[in-house]
Formats: sequence, structure tokens, C-alpha cells
Amino acid sequence: MKSFVKQTGAAVVALSLSVVANSASAQDLLFWSKQGKPVEEAQAMRDAVLSGFEGSVDFQPNDGGPWLTRLQAEIEAGEGKIGVLGALHGDYTTFADDLADLSDIDLGDAAMNETFMELGKLGTSEQKYIPWMQATYVMAANKKALEHLPEGADIDALTYDQLIEWSKTMAEETGSPKFGFPAGPKGLKHRFFQGYMYPSYTNSMVTKFRSAEAETAWNKFKELWSYTNPGSTGYSAMQEQLLTEEVWVVFDHTARLANAFNERPDDFIAFPAPAGPTGRGFMPVVVGVAIPKTAPDMDAAKKLVSYMANPATQIETLKALSFFPVVDVELPSDMPAAVQLSGSAIAKMSGSADANPGLLPVGLGDLGGEFSQVYTDTFERIVLGGEDVRAVLDAQAETLRNVMVEANAPCWAPDPASDGPCPVE
Amino acid sequence: MSTESTVVTGNQRIAKWSVNISIVFLCLWVLVPIYLLIANTFSSPAEVNAFPKRIYPSFDTESVRFFMNFYGVGSALWNSFKVACLTMIMSIAVGAPAGYALSRFEFRGKNTFRVLVLMTRAFPLPLLALPLAVMFIKVGLDDTVLGLAIVHTVLALPFAVLITFSLFSGVPVELEEAAWTLGCNRLQAFIKVIFPLVLPGIAASAIFAFVISWNEVFAAAVLTIEHRTLPAFLLQSLDDAPLHLKFAGGAVLVVPALIFIFMVRKYLFSMWGIANR
Repeated sequence: MKSFVKQTGAAVVALSLSVVANSASAQDLLFWSKQGKPVEEAQAMRDAVLSGFEGSVDFQPNDGGPWLTRLQAEIEAGEGKIGVLGALHGDYTTFADDLADLSDIDLGDAAMNETFMELGKLGTSEQKYIPWMQATYVMAANKKALEHLPEGADIDALTYDQLIEWSKTMAEETGSPKFGFPAGPKGLKHRFFQGYMYPSYTNSMVTKFRSAEAETAWNKFKELWSYTNPGSTGYSAMQEQLLTEEVWVVFDHTARLANAFNERPDDFIAFPAPAGPTGRGFMPVVVGVAIPKTAPDMDAAKKLVSYMANPATQIETLKALSFFPVVDVELPSDMPAAVQLSGSAIAKMSGSADANPGLLPVGLGDLGGEFSQVYTDTFERIVLGGEDVRAVLDAQAETLRNVMVEANAPCWAPDPASDGPCPVE
Repeated sequence: MSTESTVVTGNQRIAKWSVNISIVFLCLWVLVPIYLLIANTFSSPAEVNAFPKRIYPSFDTESVRFFMNFYGVGSALWNSFKVACLTMIMSIAVGAPAGYALSRFEFRGKNTFRVLVLMTRAFPLPLLALPLAVMFIKVGLDDTVLGLAIVHTVLALPFAVLITFSLFSGVPVELEEAAWTLGCNRLQAFIKVIFPLVLPGIAASAIFAFVISWNEVFAAAVLTIEHRTLPAFLLQSLDDAPLHLKFAGGAVLVVPALIFIFMVRKYLFSMWGIANR
């Protein structure tokens, strides 16, 4: 035994010396991304999307924590390895000063969405990021759920009342609640309240936070919650519960439904979010690529940014990540099931007569998390805690007002533009 | 008399049975999750999602093959191994002398020193990672196996010091003194008498350091880029992955560590003094 320890010890020491002596290998362009984290998406990004780029790219998707910490460290140290960043619009707002100006970038023949380009300026005069892809949230259902659909309801033009009735029927006829909602710690529930429920009931996201219409909306949601699978407080990506058939009807981000559609395209359908009294609220999500000022090779990084906006790259990205193009492209017919299903639901939703888009929060800077927390807290107090709707709304409106004043953020759609911080009436 | 003895044997039997049942229960507690992990790894995606679950895997290798071909798993595994070995060496090289000093000498500030050693675990890593990364970038330790191993050594050090402290305390000082009277100097006495006695324990605490390094994610994710370790590389990606890949990825993470621990189990037991010396 002693000699075994000695031998292993010697081997380990020798190995470690060789490790310390090792020098770094050739430098690839580092693509530090918050998107494309799931293993099969990362693989597709490397194999299908970035393999067409002239240089070699090291695509590294990360969790929010390490993504941010590493970026902050490089900015603070004044040098770094990150070449190109990939993240949501809201992730960049804190770093506007540390991002290189991309106004002079050559996007070739890509016809970029104007609204998204404007968002990419982050309220400055410089182009801080170039839009990379977009997504939104839709509804999805197991086809078994369709036979319980209320009479006269059109799946492509549902109302919230019909959704509640549908969920009630399913719960009663199958014996267990079949509506699922991503209310887990990592679920995107706050986006539902901000971009779907509020615009649909109040035609507002911020201003009418504590209005009588909002009170109605929360009471409706409480009603829906009583026919919602109680396991929802643990759900994050609803594709899992769709595949296990724990629930039949869900609301979630298109990227978080993609696996279910791709694995069993014949069993599921995607359809637009429901409409309320003030229209069919929905929230488009923008992901952008940016370059930190500390990038080691600025020219290569800029080339990669313009490569990402290329129509052909955009189509490959759509296949790999299930995020939709931000430039005008003609989609080929051989797209994955998730793209076809979600794509047509998105088209129906944004093209519906009563469409009422609510943008992602703009101009909140690093208060974006606190803004969303207001909606999450309201949900937890009213729906999970059973507190009085009016009292909770009054209390949370105070918090929301403080956030808006502190951020000094003017209103964004669907709220009408404001001078100074967006008011909470 | 006879009834009394049957009562006693009856009680003994119950005691024996409850011990056996507890053993079986504890074994199942550990083995069932590992079995499910392995069984699901070797099942097709449809079977993983299906309910009720199959008891035997169908030996579908799709998920496993995905990881075999996944870019960078091999080099990440190798990096993990290198970092863990370096951590092992450094934590023993620094921790064992500290443990020896704590157990053999009286010096000023001894108690403060002991608290300080424990204090290194008092700060959450996400808090330390930012200043650490800034410093590493400036010093040039950033994205090196050595740099990460230093961080992991700091994490493993309290355990190394405390384990070696109790090991050295368990060896009577008289043995050392006897060696001195027979002509050894301090160093010789240590090498010839003390070291062989504590060797299994040292090996055990080294393995502990290895495991701590193997499992660490946050520092690895922030401080390395090209030299990613396996947990940093896979763990974050598995979070949102579909179920069958979660199982396969879990197996990829767990199996090397299981094999390693199985190989060195003898030394691990000696940490609690139950090995045959």
C-alpha cells in the first residue's frame, strides 16, 4: 500500500509539473453568451452556425452569474479575453459605457428591424449592440386537450375567459388540473404579468398597475390558478411537463417549448396567447450581440457581429436556438417542427386584429431585476398568499413607483410616452 | 429462567433485525438514485419521459453518444483531473505542516490561527470571484490550471488542516521522543516514525481535497475559459437540457468520481480510523 501511495504521488507530482509548464494554446475568438446554454443548443451553435465563420470561434454559453462576473472582472481589469457578447437587451443596460460603438459596422445586405436597432442604442447616441435574434411567449397544448375546448372557442383567437373555462372543464373531466404555468424559481412568470396579462386587461404595463382593471385581471388570474396544476410553483421550462404529460396546456417562452415540439411534433400544437378586454397582449424579446471595449481583437469581433446578422446565419441560428430572425429572411420549408409550430403561432399573434405588443422594460438600467420582482411579489402575495388584491396592489404600486423614479425611466409601449419617469397612477 | 432467556434472545433478534434493515435502507438510499441515473442514461429519450418507468434500461446509447461527440468534454475532463491533482498536492503541502504545528507546538495566536483557517470558508465564492478574477487577469494567472488550483486549495485547506491535525494528535508524542533518544533528529524522527503512521490519513485528506476541487463550479466558470473543468463546462449547460441529456450528463459527471473514490476507498476509510493499517 505504501509503495502504491508513493508511486501515485510521484506520478501526480510529475503530471502537475508538466501542467504548470504548459503554455496557452492558440487564441480563438471568444463568444461569451448567455443564450444557447442547453447542451444540444450549444452543440448546434458550434456545428451549424459558427462553423461558417471565417475565423475559429470558441462559443461558451454561461449561467447569468458567471457570465456577469467574468464580464465585470474584465472591464475592471481593463483587459480580457471576451471578444463578442451575446445576451438579452436587459442584460446590456448596465454596461452601456463599456460596450464598443458599433455604428460603423457593415451589415451587408441584411435588412435589420428598425425598432430593434433603436433599442440597441440603449438610449445613447451610439449603437451599443446589434440585434441578433428575437423570441416571444406563446401557448402550447397537447392535442388531447382540444376535445375539452369550450364550445364556439377558436383556438387561434382565445380569450382569457375561454382559457379559464377550458382549464376548468379539463380539471373536472380528467380529474386533475391540466393547465401549467411556469411559476417556479426559474420560471418566466413575471413576463406573463408584464407583457400579457397587464396589456390585455389594462392596456398598460406600469401606469395602470393598481387600477380597477388590474384588480379584475388579478381576480381572473386567481380563478385560472384554481384550475392550474399546483405543481406549477416548481415548473421552469414547460416543455418538460408537456413531454411527461403532467399538464396539457401551458404558457411559456418559445425556446422553452421547442423540445416538446421537436420530439413529438404530431402530439402538440402552438397557439397565440389569449386576449382580454384591451386586446391580445404579448411581449417580443430581443437578444443582441455586443463587443466589450476590452475585446482583444476588435476587427475579428466586428466581423463576427456582422456575420451573425447575415440572413443565412440567421436561419441557421433559428434552427439551432429556436430564436427568430431580426432581419428580413425567407424561411426555407425544411425547418424543425418547433420553428414551424411556434412561428405560425407568433405570426397569428402579432398579426391578429387585436394584437397589443408590450415591450421589454426599457431604460431601467440595473433596476430591471427589481422591476420584475414587483410583479413576482404581487403574484406571490395575491395568488399564493391569498392576500387582498386591492391592498397588495396599493402596496406594490408604491414599490413600483420608487423603482421608476429611481431609474428615471420614461414609459414604453403599451403605456403612452411620458416626460420624466413613467408614472404609476 | 428459560422464559427470561428467550426474551433476551428475542430482544437481540429484534435489535439485529433493525440493524440489518437500517443497513439495507441506507444502501438503497444511496444506490437507487445511482441506479436510476445509470438506467436512464442508457434509455432512449422517449422511454425517459414515459411513465411508468421501465426497470431495466433498453441499452439505447443515443444520449451517451451525444456526450462522446460533444465538443470539449474530453479536454474538460482532463482539465478537471489536472486541477484536482494540483489542488490535492498543494493542500497537503500547505495543510499538513499546519496540522502538525497545531498538534505539536504551543505558540502565540494558536487559537486565532485555527479560527482564521476556518474563516476561508466563511465568504461565499460568488462574492470573492469578481475581485479574484480582476487580480488574476492582472497577474496573468487568469485562465490557467494553476490559478484555479490555487483557489480550490484555499477551499480545501481548512479540511486538510483539521484532518491532519487530528491525525498527528492521534500519534503519541512519546513515539517521536523515543526516536530522538535513539539518535534521530527531528526531521528523521518525523520521516521514519510519524510519517508512515499517518500516511493513510494524509492520503485520505488528499482525496477529500480532490473531491472538493472536482465538484466546484462557480470559480471554475469565472476563472477559466480555455481550460474549463468538467463541472463548469457541463453543469450549467445541463440546467436547461432535456431530461434524457440531464441523466446522461449526470452520469458523465458522477461516474469518473465514483471510479476514483472506489479505487481509493481504503484510504478514505482510514480517515475515520477503520481501515486495516
